[in-house]
Amino acid sequence: MDILLQQIVNGLTIGSIYALVALGYTMVYGVLKLINFAHGDLVALSAYVGLVVYMQIAGTIPGAFAVIIMFLVTAMVIAVVGVILERLAYRPLRTAPRLSAVVSALGASMMIQNGIMLIWGPNIRIYPSDILPTTTWTIFGVTVTFVQVVMLVITIVLMAALTLFINYTKFGTAIRASAINQDAAKLMGINVNMVIVVIFILGSVLGAVGGLFIGMYYKSISFNLGWNYGLNAFIAAILGGIGNIPGSMVGGYLLGLFTALISGYVSSTWAEAFTFILLIVILIFRPTGILGERVAEKV
Amino acid sequence: MKTSTIGYIIFLGALAVFPVIDDPRWITVVTTFCIYSVVALSVDIVLGRAGMFDMGHAIFFGLGAYITAILNAHFGLNVLIAIPLVIIIPALFAIIISSPIVHLRGDYLLVATVGFNIVFEQVLKNNLFGLTGGPNGIFGVDAYVFGFYLDEPLVVYYLAFALLILTLVIIRNLEASKAGRALHYVQEDPLASESIGINPRFYRVFAFALGAAIAGLAGFLFTIQYAAVSPEAFGFMTSVLFFAIVLVGGKASIPGILAGTFIMFVLPEIFREFATWRYFVFGFAMIFTMVMRPQGIFPAKYGKLPKYMTGDNHDTA
Repeated sequence: MDILLQQIVNGLTIGSIYALVALGYTMVYGVLKLINFAHGDLVALSAYVGLVVYMQIAGTIPGAFAVIIMFLVTAMVIAVVGVILERLAYRPLRTAPRLSAVVSALGASMMIQNGIMLIWGPNIRIYPSDILPTTTWTIFGVTVTFVQVVMLVITIVLMAALTLFINYTKFGTAIRASAINQDAAKLMGINVNMVIVVIFILGSVLGAVGGLFIGMYYKSISFNLGWNYGLNAFIAAILGGIGNIPGSMVGGYLLGLFTALISGYVSSTWAEAFTFILLIVILIFRPTGILGERVAEKV
Repeated sequence: MKTSTIGYIIFLGALAVFPVIDDPRWITVVTTFCIYSVVALSVDIVLGRAGMFDMGHAIFFGLGAYITAILNAHFGLNVLIAIPLVIIIPALFAIIISSPIVHLRGDYLLVATVGFNIVFEQVLKNNLFGLTGGPNGIFGVDAYVFGFYLDEPLVVYYLAFALLILTLVIIRNLEASKAGRALHYVQEDPLASESIGINPRFYRVFAFALGAAIAGLAGFLFTIQYAAVSPEAFGFMTSVLFFAIVLVGGKASIPGILAGTFIMFVLPEIFREFATWRYFVFGFAMIFTMVMRPQGIFPAKYGKLPKYMTGDNHDTA
């Protein structure tokens, strides 16, 4: 029982990361119908930028402020990179065949990943363990760390803010309209280019927070962590129904729980294989995800 | 004689006399070029000709390689026995795994094939049934046949060259055959193709099976060349590279794919001193090529069809 509860807590923590990263995929896919393969690498870049920022300011200002500055600066840097990426690699290909944009995204992914390796080297980098207080609580035999609580709270706050933004603001309406039909949205006076830039900013910021969580939770980062988290988050997005924002959040947490339970009860070396088998089974039986809408398909 | 025919004669003629260079390193490089070209052409059957986003093709390449290595290193069988198996087993495997997923829309199919590739990689790394050798792979494949060592550089080179010619012949025949035209119609418009009596599902699975059979045979030669196999060579990054080769070179275009393979696998050998920059530059080149030439470097030409009929159909994706 204790093990089960412990795995659920761990699952919710990993699920927070997946959910944050998955939102970036789902928003871009919703409007551009493009799998942004470089998103996972932006997450990895965020973990490195965050580490550099923290090392620069740690000790000079009180701890809590240092963490806040680390989050803000990293989020801004990653948002800028995300916008540059959109401008240089995706916008010129918006009217091109869809596969060209996929290859461009793969190219961007390789560039960022290997850029990280060229700058910071191929070895694993260690995060300082005292960025956040190392307090732990034991409730009903389950160990919960301060980092886990912070991750869960920040994730839920960010997701609530995003949901409110998408559903109750004028710009959110523009985003939803662009996701349904870009041409019609343009006719209604919506600046679709602006919508896409904002989507990349939002997705990059959420991904950046996810990347910092990876660093703070696992305490070690490597230049190629992006593919792993990116793919898992992408599975989470598909699980919930890609293009569907609440779906990605649910998908992220479900995948986190699934991964934690498989690692805890079956085998951690096979966890990844089980994740992808789950993905394939879902694609076969419910191709548009759990909360996805049924779309009429040709053939 | 058509220009393209002259081009092929010059290209294949150059490859045939290439070993006069007599530098073992370059013979190895060009052998690898031939083997990877064959795999890239087999990916193109699925991706370029049938229009299915296949990012898991390294599975079939890997199956061929591992079947050869397992039969030879674990069971001590002659490598020749593996030849029919490396064609049949990957093809059957392709039929089994592609049948339930070929109806998926483009991106979803892509993710499903990535999924299969990662499961395959994990199976290899976890040493299933003690056969796959775990993360290190299998060493010591012994390609001694009838008093010949097949793994002599020159022998492997000409085997790879012959396999490349065989693959080119298969593809030229496919282009002219009923199946090849059916694939083209299925890619252009599955619904319309069904109304003229083509079964899209059958031809999609057929494309996977044919691509897998060719890739499996290439895997056999890969094992002979290196006398060893390891999971990394057949991981999903390899599939990504082949996917990129086909699209950067140009879908359904043989010269494009040969050029793509050259760029991805031979140029890095020439510029070895920039090894650490290799994938960074690749990434940049992929973006640059796509922005400049979204259809690839050498897009396929479709005779005198009007332009609106050859454009990429956005809905099939």
